[in-house]
Amino acid sequence: MDHEAASCYSCGYSEVEAAITCGANQVMLNRVHDAAHCLRKQERDELAETLDFLEAKFPQMLFCAYLGTLPGNLKISELGFWLLNHGQVRGAEFARPNENGILVVMDLNTKQIGISMGYFAETLITEEDAYRALNAARPNLINAEYGEAIERIFLKLGKVLDKQGRKLRKLTREQIHATLTGQYKNVLDLPPHLSPNQFLKNPPSPDERLGEHRKTA
Amino acid sequence: MKRIAALTLAVAMPTGSSWAAGIDLPQWESAEESGAYYLGGGLWPKSLIPDATAAAAEPGSSAVADVLAAAGIELVGPPAPGRPLPGASVAAATAPGETAGPPQFFGPAGEPGASDPSLQRVKENPDGTFDIPEEVVEVEAYEPLPPLEGDLADLYFAHAPVEYLVDPQRLLTEQKSNDIMRFLEFHADESKFRIYVMVVGDNQKVPEGVDLQALHKKWFSEEPTVLMLYYREKPELTEMVFNDEVRNSLPKSVFDRILQNCLREGAVADLAPDQVEKMAIELSIQLYWLSRLMEKENPDHQSLVAASSVHEMMASEDAPELLREYAPGIFIDETSKMLSFVLTFVVILGGLAMIGLIGWIVMWWRGRESLSGEPLLFPEFRLPRRLGGEFSGGGFVGMSFELNEGAS
Repeated sequence: MDHEAASCYSCGYSEVEAAITCGANQVMLNRVHDAAHCLRKQERDELAETLDFLEAKFPQMLFCAYLGTLPGNLKISELGFWLLNHGQVRGAEFARPNENGILVVMDLNTKQIGISMGYFAETLITEEDAYRALNAARPNLINAEYGEAIERIFLKLGKVLDKQGRKLRKLTREQIHATLTGQYKNVLDLPPHLSPNQFLKNPPSPDERLGEHRKTA
Repeated sequence: MKRIAALTLAVAMPTGSSWAAGIDLPQWESAEESGAYYLGGGLWPKSLIPDATAAAAEPGSSAVADVLAAAGIELVGPPAPGRPLPGASVAAATAPGETAGPPQFFGPAGEPGASDPSLQRVKENPDGTFDIPEEVVEVEAYEPLPPLEGDLADLYFAHAPVEYLVDPQRLLTEQKSNDIMRFLEFHADESKFRIYVMVVGDNQKVPEGVDLQALHKKWFSEEPTVLMLYYREKPELTEMVFNDEVRNSLPKSVFDRILQNCLREGAVADLAPDQVEKMAIELSIQLYWLSRLMEKENPDHQSLVAASSVHEMMASEDAPELLREYAPGIFIDETSKMLSFVLTFVVILGGLAMIGLIGWIVMWWRGRESLSGEPLLFPEFRLPRRLGGEFSGGGFVGMSFELNEGAS
């Protein structure tokens, strides 16, 4: 993905597409939103304790989870993107904006689980660390121990955040800025486009796309 | 040969003494010059070789003389070796009033009047016992050596010896000297203890003004050395001089036992070269055990002993008994060997288990999910937006937990 790109280069997906699919309104979320009703009370309580501990440890970070049975035309990556941009976690303080959010999304229909991260959380947690955390919880997920699985994922991510925080303490402000803005590690960026700018078709603006959507609707 | 010629002459010319007297016969050699002809090869001792008396009693010789006298032939010259004059021989061989005995043949002669010379040597006592005469053994006597004085003494004691075997008088055979020298050099290469052997004559004595202990201190104070003074074919007179440090580090009984063992080995052989060789070998063995004993007694000598390559040899069954009695701990037996093997195995196994335990603890510590410490605050920056998202740009990592499916 390209920083500051208005939509995806390949599929043209953007927040507008997500809003068209899921709605442009704001939704209220619980910290652990069990829409699939797959968590027992004990698991919920234990997960709540873990999240309390992590919130105390990282006062700026937002930890939340959504467990549901998604329709076939909705991917969990799209849902995570939409929830972080349109969701409001109940009880989250002002110091924990969605930008700092780490959202675990699980679809019990397709047996898929993923981690969506806000802009700030992306700078602290790499894809490798996130995948490692998911992989650690795989045995629990296979055994349908979803509460323990999500708890383990959050704890693993908490360790990553702790490690990252200790690293950042040793850096100067400029180095921290360079690190967080991805100047040192920019593996997610695409290489510069080889075609001249004049031959590239400009993607439609959000207003144009919204208008097209209304026409079709 | 001369006798045969005389007999031939007597038979061929029984008469004609008138011209026979003019024949120029060879003269007999004198008894002193001719010497004795012994039956060959030294098969019999000298005492058993027929002497003049036995030869005089030979009957054939007197009969020939009588025949020659009756024929008017007079033998000219001295009698044959070992024979008396013809007239005297008969008188001596036959006592007055005694007839001539049975013919005696040339051979070992016993006492006069005895019939069987072999039986004459064994006498029967009235009580039925026999006296067997002692066998006469020919002893080859060495010629006496000059006393250790002047230049000869200087060859021994003036300067520190260069070679390990000091034998300026060549009292040992050349072959044995080379063998002993080679062995002493080998010993010096393998052990820190040097062995110097001085060989002197049996009748020689160390000069009055020479103090072996002082010489040893002067020559060999730097390194542990044993100076062995050997008297030719008298191993019981052998003297050994050790360094003062070595001698003071152990009781005197140890050195006495070392000397006794060397003397015992030397007494096994009769000849001086063999004695020196056996004593040097035994001394080498004893010094090896002495070094082990010093290691046991004095830890300061461990470096000294460690430098010896033969130190690692296992104690054999014929190890010196004195050290076995004095310090049985230095002998390695099979039980301790097995015990050490088991201990080594246990130590290695324990070490591996410890390493595994430490590794497991490290892995557990790194893999633990608990977090501790104070709240952690991150520096905040304004980050660019993408995909139109206000809070998230779509950063997502997903995985499927369906069986037989990988991560997406």
